[in-house]
Formats: sequence, C-alpha cells, structure tokens
Amino acid sequence: MIKNRPYEIKELPNQIILAVFFLTFFGLIVLKSISQHHSGGLLQNPFSKQVLFMIPAILGAISVLFIPRFTIHKYAYALYSIGILIVLLPFLGGSHAGTYRWLNIGLPFAIQPSEFAKIFTTIALARYLSDHNLQMKQFSSIIIPFIMVLIPTAIVLKQPDLGTAIVMLIPILPMLYWAGAKPFYLFLLLAPLFSMLTAFHNIAFTMWAIILGIIIFIAQPKRLIALGLFFVNIFLGLFSPVLWNSLSNYQQGRVLTFLNPEKDPLGAAYQIIQSKTAIGSGGLFGKGWGDGTQTHLKFLPVQESDFILSVMGEELGFISISMVLLVFGYLIAQIMKQSYLSKDRFSSLALIGFATILMSHVFVNTAMTVGLIPVKGLPLPFISAGGSFLISSYLMVGLILKLSVNYSD
Amino acid sequence: MLKADNLVSYRQYLVAIGFTWLLIFILLGRYFQIQILGFDRYAKKANTNRIRKITTTAPRGLILDRNGQILVDNLPTYVLTAIPGELSQKSEKFGIISKIIGLDSVTVSKNYKKYYRGRFIPTRLAKDLTFNQISKLEEHKLDLEGVYYEQVPERYFPSNVNASHILGYVKEVDKPIRKILNKKGEYELGDLIGWNGLEKKYESFLKGKRGTYFYEVDAYGREVGLVSDLSPQNPVPGQNIVTTLDIQIQHTLETLMNGKRGVVLVGDPVSGEILGAVSTPDYKPDLFTGLMLEKEWNNILYDPDKPLINRFNQGLYPPGSIVKMITAITLLKNSNFDPLAFQQCDGSFQFGDRIFGCWWDQGHGQMDLNSAMLNSCDVYFYKTIQFYDLDKLSETFREFGFGQPTKIDIDGESNGIVPTIAFMNNRYGRYGWSRGALLNICIGQGELLVTPMQVLNYLNLLATHGKANVPHFVMVDKLPVNVHPTMLQENWDKITFGMREVIVNKKGTGRSANPNIPGLKIFGKTGTAENPHGDNHAWFIGWAEYQHEKYSVVVLMENSGSGGTVAAPLAKKVFVSIIENRDFVSK
Repeated sequence: MIKNRPYEIKELPNQIILAVFFLTFFGLIVLKSISQHHSGGLLQNPFSKQVLFMIPAILGAISVLFIPRFTIHKYAYALYSIGILIVLLPFLGGSHAGTYRWLNIGLPFAIQPSEFAKIFTTIALARYLSDHNLQMKQFSSIIIPFIMVLIPTAIVLKQPDLGTAIVMLIPILPMLYWAGAKPFYLFLLLAPLFSMLTAFHNIAFTMWAIILGIIIFIAQPKRLIALGLFFVNIFLGLFSPVLWNSLSNYQQGRVLTFLNPEKDPLGAAYQIIQSKTAIGSGGLFGKGWGDGTQTHLKFLPVQESDFILSVMGEELGFISISMVLLVFGYLIAQIMKQSYLSKDRFSSLALIGFATILMSHVFVNTAMTVGLIPVKGLPLPFISAGGSFLISSYLMVGLILKLSVNYSD
Repeated sequence: MLKADNLVSYRQYLVAIGFTWLLIFILLGRYFQIQILGFDRYAKKANTNRIRKITTTAPRGLILDRNGQILVDNLPTYVLTAIPGELSQKSEKFGIISKIIGLDSVTVSKNYKKYYRGRFIPTRLAKDLTFNQISKLEEHKLDLEGVYYEQVPERYFPSNVNASHILGYVKEVDKPIRKILNKKGEYELGDLIGWNGLEKKYESFLKGKRGTYFYEVDAYGREVGLVSDLSPQNPVPGQNIVTTLDIQIQHTLETLMNGKRGVVLVGDPVSGEILGAVSTPDYKPDLFTGLMLEKEWNNILYDPDKPLINRFNQGLYPPGSIVKMITAITLLKNSNFDPLAFQQCDGSFQFGDRIFGCWWDQGHGQMDLNSAMLNSCDVYFYKTIQFYDLDKLSETFREFGFGQPTKIDIDGESNGIVPTIAFMNNRYGRYGWSRGALLNICIGQGELLVTPMQVLNYLNLLATHGKANVPHFVMVDKLPVNVHPTMLQENWDKITFGMREVIVNKKGTGRSANPNIPGLKIFGKTGTAENPHGDNHAWFIGWAEYQHEKYSVVVLMENSGSGGTVAAPLAKKVFVSIIENRDFVSK
C-alpha cells in the first residue's frame, strides 16, 4: 500500500486541485482588501486569520489522503453519529447571539460543528445507498435514507441555521437519483415544499395543484396512491399558514423581506440593497482593488464571509465574478466527472454528494448577494473567511481527491 | 464492502452536469443584469449612499453709517448641540449642562426633542452661550460625550444708537417661515433672514451664499473626510451696505427725543440722503436677537405708545400749518392772484353757515401772503382759497408727493390721504360734505393725513425748488424717481422768502428754531395740528443753509402743544448739533 502512494499522488485530478487553489487565492486577494482597515491582532484581521487557517486546512486535506478508502467506508456510520453528537453539543453550552451554531472548545476561535456534520451525513448516506442494493423503483426505499438526513438537518434547523440545513438536505436528491430512484419519487419529495410555498398565493396554489395533478397522472401510480398523494399535498398547502406561524421571527422576516424588500429597508433588505448596490456599481472591471466605497465605508454587511462576492463584484468587477463562477462550475463538473468515472458506488455517491454540497453553497450564497433568494447566512467555499468553514471545505476536498483516485486500495 | 459497482449512466451524468451549468449561468446572467445593465443606476446609488452635502452659514453683510462706522455687526455666539447617536445617559448630561449654563434641564431636554432630526445629525440643546460657558463645558468634556458646540453668527449692534426702526431685524428661518418664502432654495432652516427695515429691504445684498462641502460618510452616517473629486465651495459673505445715516446725528436725535413721542428726521435735501431718523418711543435693536422672555415681549407689544410702530413711515398725522406752502403755491399758480393784496383777519371767517376760526382768535388784522405765512394766519388762506376747486389744491399736494408712497427704502410705508372731490363724494356721498372741507384742508386739517417721511420729501422739494431726490437710507447707485414739482422761479422765491420770514421775523412762529449762528440761514414753518386723540401735535419743518450745504429737519411731537413753542426749540437744538458735528457729515 505504501508503495502505491507515489502513483496515487500522480493520479490525483490536478484540475480539482488547481481550481480549489485558484478560488482560495482569489478569496485571499479580496480578504486582503477588506483587511486594510482592520486593526487588532492576527485573529481579528480576516486576511491573516484566513492565511493562518490555511495551514490546518491543507494539512487536514493531505492527511485525509492517507486514510484508506475502506476505512472511510467502515466508519461512515460512526462519523454520522459523531456528526449528530457535535451538532447537539452547542445546545449544552450557552447561546451565541441567541443561536446554538458555535461550539467553544477552549480554542481562541469557535468552531461550527454543522460544517463537519454535513460531510459526515453525506458519507453515511453514500454508504447506506451503496451497501443496500435497494429497489429504487419502490417509493418506500427512499424513506430510510431520508430519515437519516432529516435527523441532523432538523437539529441544525433548530440551532437555528436555515442555510446549513438546506445544504445538508439537498445532496440526498442527486444521490437518490444516482442510486436509481425514479425522478417521479424525487418530485414527490419536493412536492410538499412547493405545496407549502404556493399556499400563500391563491393563483399560484391553483396552478400548482393543476401541475401536481398532471404529473401524477403521467407517472400513473396506483389510483389510491395517486389520490392520496394529491390530497396530502393539498392539505399540506392548506395547513402551511399554521406551519408558517411556527417559524421563528427572524426566519419569517427574511422570507418576507425577500418577497417585499421595501418593507424593511434597514433589516435584511438593507443588506440586499447594499449588496446589489456594491455589485452593480462595480461594473465590468470594478472600482479597483481596495477602492470599493460600499465595502470600505462599511455599507456592506458581513463582507468577509456571507457578502464577500459583493466585495469582489464592487472592486474587481463582472470579469472576476464570471471567472469565479465559471471556475466553480468547472470544479463541480470535474467532481461529477470523477463521480461518473468512479468504479465503486460508494465513492460515486459520496462524490456527487460533495459536488452538490459545493453547488448548494455557491448557489445559495451567490443568489443571496444578488437578491435572487432570501438572505441566508451561508459562506462561499474557499473564498469566504471562516476558520472551521475553511477547514471543513478542505477536508471535503481531501475526501474528493481521495475518492477520485481509483484502484489505489 | 466496496464491491458494489458504480451504476451511474452517462445520461444521469449529463443531467447532473447540465443542471450544474444551468445554475451557474442563471447566476452569471443575474450578475450581468446587475453589473452591466444596471451599472449606471447602481453607480449613482453607491455615490449618493456615501456622499453627504454639508453647508455652512455665510456671514451676513454689515450695515455701516455714512462714515464707515459699524451699525450692525456679526457676533459669533455658540450653540450647544448633541449627536443623539453618541449620547448616552441623557438626563445626567443634561443635568451637568443645565448647571453650567443656568438653563433648567427640562428646557434642555425640551430643546433636544424639538430640534431632533436624526441619530447622527446634531440636535440643538441651547443657544447664545458665552465663551465663558463654553470653556466651562470644555472642562467637563469627559462627562459630556456626544455633546458639541458650534459657532453661529448673530446680529450685534456695537454703536450707541438704536436706529431700530431703520435697521429692522432678522429672523431665524423656521419651517413656517420657509413655507412662505419666495426663494425657498436659498434658505435652510436656522438661516437668518431680514424681516424688517433695511435688513429686509437689502436682504439680497446682505445675505451671503452658503458654503458647500461634500463629506464622505460611512454606513453609520459618520463623516470620514472630504470627497476629493467634488470641490468644496467656501461660503461667500454678504455684502456690506453703507447707509446715509450719521451715527453722531442719529445719537443726538435719539437723545433729544428720549422719553417723548414723535419723529425727528434730518436729511440732505439735494441728495435725499437721510442723516438721522428717530421714531420714539423705540426699542433696543437687539430686542429680537437672543432669547426674549414672553413678559418682555408682551410689555413691548401692549405698550400704549406702540414702540414697534415706525412713526415716520407708518404714522399718519394731520400736518396742520406746515402745508400752508402748498396752499400758497396753489394760489400763486393762478396768475390773477396778487400776493401783495391784503385780507382782513378778524379771528374767524364765516363760510356758508359755518364759522372757521383762526388759531389766533383775536385776529391778525391786515395780512398779505407773506405776513399770513409768518403769522400762520388761517383766515387769510380761507379767504383766498375759497374760490378754488378742492381738486386744484389736492393737485398741488400730489405734486409734492403727498397721498403716495415716497419710495423710501424701508417697507411698510403708508400712503396718507389727500382728499379730492371724488374721495369726499366716495366717503360722504355727493351731498354729504360741503365746500367748507376745502378750508379745513388748506390749513392742513380735516381729512388730510400725511406721514413724516412725505413731509421730509415735501420740505426737500421746497428747499431745492423741486429738484430733490427721493429720501433714502442706503447709498445706492440708482434711486427711484422722485416727484418734481415745477413753477416760476419768482414763486419759488416768494415761498422761500416766506419761510425765511417765519424764522427771522420777530413775529415769526418759527423764530425759536433759530440758533443764531453766523452764516447759518434757516427756512421753516411751524404747524399745530388738531387731532382727535388729545392735545395738538407740534410740527416744525425747516432747512438750514450753511456754506453751500443744506440740511432739512422735520420735527413732529405727538400731543405736546404748539409747533412754535415745542417743536421749533427742539429743531434749534438739532440745527446746533448738525453745525457742531459738521465734520462728521461727509459729503
């Protein structure tokens, strides 16, 4: 095994490594600009903090490469349990600004356990779906995997961290698709969500009911099931106003602000407006590095993490935004390619899961900065500042690289 | 356990890749929409986001006397402000402030609420702080975080004269005032605006232009620095205006009239410049600056002597005998009139069924025009004017500027009344008045009402044979056109001779106005005007000639007796003072 290693490193997909380094480097350029006006110690300055965290991140990624693939497979469920445990831990400690997202373990910085839990959950799901030669043509087969994902997701949602919860939940869809589930079943999984969302608008709800009916008709399940599916969705829609009231105020606020930004110009909408202003005023080439007025006059909120792309848009323009987005697309496509080329099902499923995690981060974060979706506190992988996020992203890269190499063990 | 083969089909792979790129391009499209298509809109928004326009007040122009001495100056006073966003523990801080400046803390917090405009905009707590108070506040600086002071100019009156009716006053522009302004854009809340007198009339000169600075502000509204690519504009101070007033003469007049009710005007008849003007009782010119107690204000407002009224401009008085020259001129215009023909004065004259008395009820005896003027004999004028039309007389009044504004450069001037036939018909009906009204009006009584400023202009016209400029208070390049009555030179001479006789003849009613200074010639006329409000008003009008210089003087003393005994002696003091202070009266 040890003999094999040099070959293994040669076999590593360079495109993925290059893309990750490109994105990290680009992120550092932007962080350096933001850090110009930061004073205080190394850990207060987002740029030097990020550089500092690069060390454990890269070391972590490299050490993952030394873990045999079967070990990963073997301890998948153990990791999953640890994941659930660590997302529960913050609830034992005190709340951090009213949330239970952060875990303080005596280090000079706090870590966010959900960042790791999402990876563990994906691995566990990959193992479950690869171990059991499931009859994916049956709807009941997707219930257990779903419960597996919903447990940590529900805890994270309770922290509350809607963004990470979404990222944790989404990978199950392509993974089930990968495992051979009928797209109709995946549609059925998503259907309740649409039922709830459209319930607040009469015309939209009517349209949705019609579409739902047509799709169920085309898929031709048993008549009783079809009727059941249809009416469960309709009732869910009717009850969603009740569910709505169970959301916390800030979650409601974010959704409402998204639907009507003028309503709350100094709350979440303020962030969207300032972010769009920053991006829009950047134009094609940007205002120049370090010259972003929106950024340096602090009009832009959480600029070093959630809104870092707005800083990039303002200072470096559409050119660099396109570059970053295309590289992300390329990176994700490369991971998918590795997933497709993978010899074993476990690796393939894990890779598509990781690709989806990355895609979810990119989409949610990017769409948020330009007001396509409500504000979610979700960072951009490799670019946003953040200790545990950088480490977890690189761990994931390590896993991706490890699982991309075939026949090594 | 890794035996399970990968079963992913190429189609599944393509769907996943396709979905990925679809999302990426949706995002790219959105960025394109915002960054490229929306660039102009967002670029503008980013600029207005960060740039705040701050304007600074410009000092108002000064008001000077004719010799360049300052009548109205600017005094920097301090205004105490607080920035609400930086102010914590308000009540404690207000307590410290009120202890230092001696204003109770309720008022301070009331001001705070009244002037509150935003979290990062200074809110006024108190004004008119002295330098002393500011330095004491500075000592407590550490306890007063968020409290600031700024300097604002306020009107200040360094000379020893009041001249309050001339100078007028300024007001601070507040919301209701701003609403009624014509040039709203030029004023901001808190600016000073001329509200009366010269301050109002010459507002466009006195008012400066605000300076504009563009500050870059951060998201918290705090100023970070000047914006480099927008050049600041410094404030342009208002222009000074030079008045025609002479502080020395003005001071003399105010001293002479102290405690009396009436008007004294001193002018240069040729140029129309007014050297001094008082309307008493008056008030201190700084009455309207600073904080006025309601009690003080009510005292002024409800004073029966009405100190706020500008008597020389707004006061309407019966002129009495001082307008007999008008009657004389009306008579002289008629070439058939013989000024040397005698009329018998028996102390009264019966006209129709009414008896019109002479002021000297024992009768003046045989009177010609000249002796009638110097004795101010009423009967002579009754007898000579009775054959004329009322409109003939009113025409002469109007030629000398009565019944119309003098175009003096202070607003609020009254027109006065010169009765005509039409006016009398209108007021009393066609048969409601008799020709006897003519006899009243010819001696300056009846419906006739004049302002002292009209009287000054009339006097100036007499002194210059109709060539005088309009009376005015400020040296300007272009004056409004005055009335210019014309008549034969010999008639002017007759009037001038008559007015000289009033002063120098030992029977002349105005002889007590003569200071008997060698080389000083006085020409004048007295008047004793009956009025419905009490004792007679005492009038004296006259001009002095001294070494090619002319000075006109109008004295009106309300309800104080006869012109010859009350007004003329005061005029004498005025003449003396003018001659004594001639050095100051530069030409």
